[in-house]
Amino acid sequence: MIYKLLEVIDQKFGLERARAHCDIPCGIYDPITAQIAALTVVRMIDLMADLESKGGEKTMAYFNSLSRYISVKEEHAEKAKAEIRVIWGDFLKAQHLEKHPETHALVHQIMQLGSKVRQTTDREAALQFVEAINKFAEIFWDAKGIAVKRAKAPYAPNLELVYPNL
Amino acid sequence: MFRILKISGDSLTPEYRNGDFVLVSKIPFLLRPVRAGDIVAFRQPGYGLLIKMVERLAPQGGGVFVVGTQPDSVDSRVFGEISPRQIVGKVIWHIKDRIA
Repeated sequence: MIYKLLEVIDQKFGLERARAHCDIPCGIYDPITAQIAALTVVRMIDLMADLESKGGEKTMAYFNSLSRYISVKEEHAEKAKAEIRVIWGDFLKAQHLEKHPETHALVHQIMQLGSKVRQTTDREAALQFVEAINKFAEIFWDAKGIAVKRAKAPYAPNLELVYPNL
Repeated sequence: MFRILKISGDSLTPEYRNGDFVLVSKIPFLLRPVRAGDIVAFRQPGYGLLIKMVERLAPQGGGVFVVGTQPDSVDSRVFGEISPRQIVGKVIWHIKDRIA
């Protein structure tokens, strides 16, 4: 009876939820999404620089292209940050962090660099963003017990990425 | 002082089930501090208001290690110890839609 009464109150006023949260263990994690997103940030900065270097009149087409590059840079910087947060928070467990005690500082650095590359067009910061995520990828694949290799991405800006050596 | 919450999720099953109500309060902590076995509601950045069971207290620093009863529970095994300051209250009444 008390339960039924509370149900009515909940339906009318909406009681606060206390989440007894479980994660659905889909097990599908891969830092490549973050790595590609970080590469995209570098690519957008390069495209912005190319556009600027052409000089000439600032036409509607110029502003249209520039705003699109900025928009994609924003989106992919945030995407990279979100992907890293999920792997860090959901996949990595205490034993992984014990083996790689630098992980927390590295994730914090990635978050900071991700914000910096949104706020600026600093290519050097974008390169650091890619490399920090590469280091995170090395930790991730080590946690999975899979060796890695470094190879240049087969598309501009052709930066070196960490890949699982499958 | 008192708060009625509705449980959402299954990490404390079979005792606490999705849809159950709980009355929580901080008053019990005036009589004795939080201890292992307490069911507590707490706020966790990124996850919001959660409810878990206290498994143990850190010998130093006052950290509280909270767990669910299910293996895929998102708890201190994922986000680490919580601070006693994050605790909203201890469950003092469990109202469930079934005969115990």
